[in-house]
Amino acid sequence: MTAPILELRQATKRYAGVPAIENVDFDLRRAEIHALVGENGAGKSTLTKVMAGVVTLSSGTMLIEGREAEPRTPLEARHLGIAMVFQENSLIPTMTVAQNLFLGQEKFYNRLRGIYIAAQQFLQSLNFDVAPTTTVSLLGAAKKQMVEIARAVLHNAKVIIFDEPTASLTPEEKKYFFDLMLDLKRRGVSVIFISHVLEEALQISDRITVLRDGKHVVTDDTARFDRARIVQAMVGRDLSQTLYGKRKQLARPPGQRVLSVQNLRMASFVKNTSLSVFAGQITGVFGLVGAGRTETFKVVSGVMKRDFFHGGEVYLHGRPVRYRVPAPAVRDGIAYVTEDRKIEGFFETMSIARNIYMGLLAKLGRKRPLLSQSEAERVGDKWIKALNIRAIGKDVKVVELSGGNQQKVVIAKSLVQEPDLIIFDEPTRGVDVGAISEIHQLINRLADDGKAVVVISSYLPEIMAISDRILVVRQGKVVEEFSASEATEEKIMYAAIH
Amino acid sequence: MIAAATRLVDQLLGRGEAATTVPPFDGQLKPNQLLETAPVIAEFDAPEDLATDGKTVLIANGTAVLRLDGAASVEVARFDRHITALCCLRDGGLAVALDGRDVQVIGGAFDGKQWYQAAGKPFTAVNAIAQGGDDRTLIVTDGSDAEPYERWCYDLMERGESGRVIELDLSTGVERVVAKGLAYAFGACVAGNEVWVSESWSHRILAINASSRRTVVGHLPAYPSRLSPAAGGGYWLTAFIARTQLVEFVLRETAYRRRMMREIDPRYWIAPRLSSGHTFLEPMQGAHIKTMGILKPWAPPRSYGLVIRLTQEGLPRYSLHSRVDGSHHGVVAAVECSGELFVLAKGCGKILRLQVAALERETLA
Repeated sequence: MTAPILELRQATKRYAGVPAIENVDFDLRRAEIHALVGENGAGKSTLTKVMAGVVTLSSGTMLIEGREAEPRTPLEARHLGIAMVFQENSLIPTMTVAQNLFLGQEKFYNRLRGIYIAAQQFLQSLNFDVAPTTTVSLLGAAKKQMVEIARAVLHNAKVIIFDEPTASLTPEEKKYFFDLMLDLKRRGVSVIFISHVLEEALQISDRITVLRDGKHVVTDDTARFDRARIVQAMVGRDLSQTLYGKRKQLARPPGQRVLSVQNLRMASFVKNTSLSVFAGQITGVFGLVGAGRTETFKVVSGVMKRDFFHGGEVYLHGRPVRYRVPAPAVRDGIAYVTEDRKIEGFFETMSIARNIYMGLLAKLGRKRPLLSQSEAERVGDKWIKALNIRAIGKDVKVVELSGGNQQKVVIAKSLVQEPDLIIFDEPTRGVDVGAISEIHQLINRLADDGKAVVVISSYLPEIMAISDRILVVRQGKVVEEFSASEATEEKIMYAAIH
Repeated sequence: MIAAATRLVDQLLGRGEAATTVPPFDGQLKPNQLLETAPVIAEFDAPEDLATDGKTVLIANGTAVLRLDGAASVEVARFDRHITALCCLRDGGLAVALDGRDVQVIGGAFDGKQWYQAAGKPFTAVNAIAQGGDDRTLIVTDGSDAEPYERWCYDLMERGESGRVIELDLSTGVERVVAKGLAYAFGACVAGNEVWVSESWSHRILAINASSRRTVVGHLPAYPSRLSPAAGGGYWLTAFIARTQLVEFVLRETAYRRRMMREIDPRYWIAPRLSSGHTFLEPMQGAHIKTMGILKPWAPPRSYGLVIRLTQEGLPRYSLHSRVDGSHHGVVAAVECSGELFVLAKGCGKILRLQVAALERETLA
């Protein structure tokens, strides 16, 4: 057995006296892929942030190649050979991909062309299809993630920590990414891999560590784990049947056609696409990243604009509508729950109650010219209870919540508007298994109540478990529709790719 | 003035009335091959309509009314003109429309009754007859007052809006116009205290009663035609052609359309047909609809076969299709009798028969 390259002993980190991790023992071997799993709030991010120098330990020790170390900044950690690819994007949006890659390595005289050529060669060597001259703000989530990964690899780190790296990658990109991790492993690099997708952990890792409530639960060879054992270790109860275990056999019958999109066009993202959404049903929308799913529904909800000339028609309850901004769409009963909750979903420094109240104000518009603190508290209380948002109080800032609870706040912000059509874009991305189950129950309840529900997801088991009908989008267009009973993973994936 | 300016802007930007968009065949209208694979029980030269008295199925074929008896057919009545609509009356009589201009009753308590006009306007294109809620009335749809029955395509290309729904009193002979100004009324059915009417060129079913009218189902991706009651509650709706963006575009290009109508043989117009694929001179050929010489089922259809099962509220429950690569196109009538659905595909002159229970099992699984 090789000596660990990185070790944590009795690691404890407290925030305002509350332990985020407590007495955690962790070791990372040389050239291994180590999966770190746990519910949101289990302490995974804190543990890895300690390693990456983002935060320091309150007590306990950290050893790197047998020597005690305590990196106080990410730069110090990088000098010690530890790099971290964060879940939140840390790229500079106004700079190009190449400039972001070489950020911090600038020389006195920088030849831009040279940087671009080097970046191009490097990205190609990783099989990443990203143009180095593109400004980062123009990239989609998956491509930004690729740049993040490339940057970590470029720094020749001995330990690379990936926090939810595959959340926004397509299956093909994921395969490249896994190949890349295996390649890093072959080169002697150790990888810590955080993921909520347990299948990925089981597929790629050598060992798995499970954390729960800031405490170490178990570390073992991956071969000794199966999905049920991991889930049980994560949540302390058996959730395997409530997640993606059951495939829907009995679909809800459709009600009235709530939304009809006809020959919609939006630049190169949406190409003459048509679809319908019915009341009392969950319409699952599957497609690879970049297929135009999100853009289609952003046009429907007024976040994006369709083409000016011959851009197609959108009918809501049989009435033609065209929204240039989201406000009238909200007033007409359309709620769009964004996939990028950190950027578009909430005001992170505002309280839970205020965030939810903002959702109500968006609906009421000029009818509510003055803010009411008591109303905000009342509304906040109601929805915190209704969606079981776990927080110390309604005045807690949203940024302090776990991913699952943040997502519930975003959902509450939309549901407070009492919409008829609710569009969930990747509702369980970056959400722990316990919260996934609750969010799925909520979505089902909405459909049972007669609402028209759209769930956009890149995760096939989720789409299959929750949808009454499934639309497959490819290259900006709905190309196939399956009923819940006829859908199989193979059929859906075939339609999405070919 | 404002309306004219809006129209101009709409035309420029391709929106509103000028949008050439077509609703998708999805949800309960998702394409299948149920009509195409349905067994053919009979084939006729000039079939026009189906009717049932609950025990047998009658077909209007040219000038004759025939009773379907398994694969054979027995003549029940013959007229001197083409039959364009047929209805079995509860008292055992038959109501027929001849050449679309004359409604007659034969047999039953009201034998010999005849109508040529309503509200001073002669019938021009009577295409469907249904019995009213009581036994004393008939509901008749007159598609257009400008074009006769067989020239329905002209009415579409001229964007006709002169269809009428007329109630005929069998006992007194009095006629009453229930609705007018419809964009080709083609098929009617009584639903409670309302009359449901297919308004083909507006792609919708209207519910009309004494004081109001409402859209039961709109934005259909096809041109609806006759309605008939379903045994389990609800209705069978046939659609004789599917909509395409190309035809929608032609319908909005007035100058082009008029020139096309003036100069080109109607068989080759860019317009929907009850059947297609007979000659290479037809529009929409080549790679648009064929790959390696094989018709793509999902290509824009020049002709199509569609039957929609509606609930009592008018919501589609499921649908039966014959797609572009099929031949059971131009479906104009469907009636349910003794647990079987009989479908008239006028485009190919065939009668199809499907087991309703098996259909429900297959489509609602």
